[in-house]
Amino acid sequence: MSRLLLLLFTTSATLLVFGLWIPIKAVVAQELLELAWAESQARQLETRPWPWADTWPVARLTMPGLGDSMIVLAGGHGESLAFGPGQVLGNESGQGPLVIAGHRDTHFRKLRYLEPGSELRLQDQDSGWHEYRVLRTRIVDSRIEQIDTLRLSDDTLLLVTCYPFDSVDAGGPLRYVVEARAGGPAVLEQKVQTETVVGT
Amino acid sequence: MILAIRLPGRTALKNGQQNKRLRHAVEGVSLWLSVMLMLFVHPLYAEASLSGSADVENAGILRFVDDAGRWQEPALVLDSEFDIRVSGLIADSRLSRSFRNTGDQWREGVFVFPLPDDASVYGLTMKVGERTIVGKVRPKPEARKIYETAKKEGRHAANVEQQRPNLFTARVANIPPGETVTVDLQFQQPVQYRAGEFELRLPTTLTPRYMPGTPVAGTSSQWEGGWSVPTTQVPDASAISPFTVLPGDVDANSHRARIQMKIDAGLPLARVFSPSHRLESRQDGQAVMVTPEGGDVLMNRDFVVRWRPLAGQEPTAAVFHQRWKDEDYLMTMLVPGTGPVRSVPRELVFVIDTSGSMAGESIRQAQAALERGLDTLKRDDRFNIIRFSSQAHAMFMQPVPATGTNLARARRYVAGLNADGGTEMASALSLAMEQSEPFEETAGARVRQLVFITDGAVGNEAALFRQIRTGLKNQRLFTVGIGSAPNMHFMREAARWGRGTYTAIQDPSDVRGPLDTLFSAMESPVLTNIDVQWPGQTGQAESFPRRPGDLFAGDPLIQVVRGSAPAGELKISALKADGSTWQKTLDLQQAAEGVGIGRQWAREKIDSLLDAGNLTGGEVDKALVTELAVAHGLMSPYTSFVAVDETPVRGQTDPLSTEQLPTLLPKGSTSGMLRYPQTATYGPLMTALGLTGLMFAAAIVLLQRREVA
Repeated sequence: MSRLLLLLFTTSATLLVFGLWIPIKAVVAQELLELAWAESQARQLETRPWPWADTWPVARLTMPGLGDSMIVLAGGHGESLAFGPGQVLGNESGQGPLVIAGHRDTHFRKLRYLEPGSELRLQDQDSGWHEYRVLRTRIVDSRIEQIDTLRLSDDTLLLVTCYPFDSVDAGGPLRYVVEARAGGPAVLEQKVQTETVVGT
Repeated sequence: MILAIRLPGRTALKNGQQNKRLRHAVEGVSLWLSVMLMLFVHPLYAEASLSGSADVENAGILRFVDDAGRWQEPALVLDSEFDIRVSGLIADSRLSRSFRNTGDQWREGVFVFPLPDDASVYGLTMKVGERTIVGKVRPKPEARKIYETAKKEGRHAANVEQQRPNLFTARVANIPPGETVTVDLQFQQPVQYRAGEFELRLPTTLTPRYMPGTPVAGTSSQWEGGWSVPTTQVPDASAISPFTVLPGDVDANSHRARIQMKIDAGLPLARVFSPSHRLESRQDGQAVMVTPEGGDVLMNRDFVVRWRPLAGQEPTAAVFHQRWKDEDYLMTMLVPGTGPVRSVPRELVFVIDTSGSMAGESIRQAQAALERGLDTLKRDDRFNIIRFSSQAHAMFMQPVPATGTNLARARRYVAGLNADGGTEMASALSLAMEQSEPFEETAGARVRQLVFITDGAVGNEAALFRQIRTGLKNQRLFTVGIGSAPNMHFMREAARWGRGTYTAIQDPSDVRGPLDTLFSAMESPVLTNIDVQWPGQTGQAESFPRRPGDLFAGDPLIQVVRGSAPAGELKISALKADGSTWQKTLDLQQAAEGVGIGRQWAREKIDSLLDAGNLTGGEVDKALVTELAVAHGLMSPYTSFVAVDETPVRGQTDPLSTEQLPTLLPKGSTSGMLRYPQTATYGPLMTALGLTGLMFAAAIVLLQRREVA
């Protein structure tokens, strides 16, 4: 009996550790990414946060309304999403629409609090800040819908995460999509930059 | 696990040195080390779980997804074979589609595919191994029900439905693992003849269409497997939006077509060529056998074949006769030839599609076409350019004279166009049609014409045709199809409702020929007010098209009639461009025997019934269309083909999974489809399970203690 109990205890404990490990890793990795981001900005190069990483920071995303800031990684595969939101679409020149995906239980947990009109800011590798305003939020079924990137306008930013937020099913088909458009006075850019330098 | 390994090491250190501060430091370091180790280990097991599938997830490429949105290996391999026989004015084709199941599960294959927009589908046979089952025409809902019943009972079944005149859905149920089910479709289409050249076009894929309107909520239950959801303007969007993939994403043998064509034109040919593929052709008696060079072709662009009779031997008139079910059917073709063309000052409005589906090769073709159009402008002409994607935008507020400065500005404007955004055609059309006062098309007055340059990749064609019909007034609309797989149904019908004509460009080197024909034809219609008199008692013969539209230079007048014997003379009178009367008689006794004319007549009649419904804005006479289609064994919007086997082959316990076969992305266009990534972790699930387990364990421990106490 006690052996069974021990087995149950260790299995549960292991599960718990692994379960908690994911958010911990997400937080810890962001710290390492901050360094890599600073370096890639300074050297204007793709800097890998750790030597064997198959992704690198491409932007910083902040949600001023929610007081949240994070480093966005290249690519939307599971490997990069574990450490930070991944840029699924967008080229280096910064032109064209951007699609960023993140895990609903780590970095993009707060996405649900974004409302039409909420402010988003994105810093690219050249340290330039771009301001976006949330246009609308939408729930889509990934089985029946794809992102038609050619029909997104150039100034679109899409944030994608899984839905519903409190679900424990990791393989669900629903996605929560926040659509934002570039906007806001250009004067703000300078101000924002100084703010965040202080912040980091 | 990692923490467990670390812990003994830490205790050893602790025993060795009692320094508390050092212990804290070591603990910190080892924690960091474990973090680093985890970062290192993570990719290893991530890779291990991926190694099962041959291909790594790739952003921008669609994969098959199962109910949970997970990636799924496609199991069905599609093989197509076209066997085309052209005799006279009708091309008869047999299209064999084989669905080979490479998986280890029973499958249902669903494939949305294009056929020529003027094709009349008249036969379906299903082949499973040695067995051949002949399909029947049934009213659409009934056919679907028969199919679904057979599918449920585990019998072989095939069902082909019409979604649009040029878009069909094939469903094949209960394909056994490792076996092949073949579906043979038979269809015929009239051969296009224009300016002394015959043309036959076989679409093999479709350009992903734009679905205007807002998504209709709560329709996922009716999902039929497309990338789009039903919208307010396109209620069947999901049925006409098959997933589009690159050739590299499907099996190396899938989505290839063998094409074999026999042209028996009945007259010596000077040349057989294709603007889309390289051809191998050889003479076989009277006929010419044509196959694409190098065997199988990828199904990523229309297959177009053109042939030209020897100079001086171009047909000017032809009559074909068929007796079918005790009825006489005649098909006549008459080429009025090029009459004197009156050059009148024109006002040309070019409307160019710069939507996302035009990205890639298409927009460059469209630019070339528009520049060619600008070249044809004369000094007295006026012009304007309207571009549209999600919104329409006119270059000039009003049409401007075609002066050197204006043309230079226009060329710069055209060169700077790039393609993205939606395809909101309705707003572009209304902008183009309403931009100016209505013109009277009389001699001397300015003629207003619209040139619409697009790939026609929209889902709301019917609404656009209505808009063209009601809004165009005295203007004429001409369409230019762009890209590897334009929506020819849109081109033809828009031009027909717009009293104009249409053309399509195959590739950049092909811009000049078709466009020059179109632009010179546009100068003025050769014949208007055409009146056709069939011999015999009036009212006995039923001919289509009932009211022939205006003819442009090089266009033939084609009539299909029922109830007129091959005797007597056909009288045609019309008004020439200079106002004089044109008359011609055709001796029907010379009629050659033809095939498929009865079916062609039925198809024309169905089309005219559908038109009548659209014209009055009311309901189409569904019962009449269904009756006609069933009598002639034809596919229509209300009838479809179904073939079912009698004995069940799949046991009731074996699962059947449905696979949506994708179509290939048209050659030269840019893929823009992005699948939503997986964005959740098992973290919360594991945490929840772990906590539950721990609580459970703790509860047991407490219980045990209480018992002990």
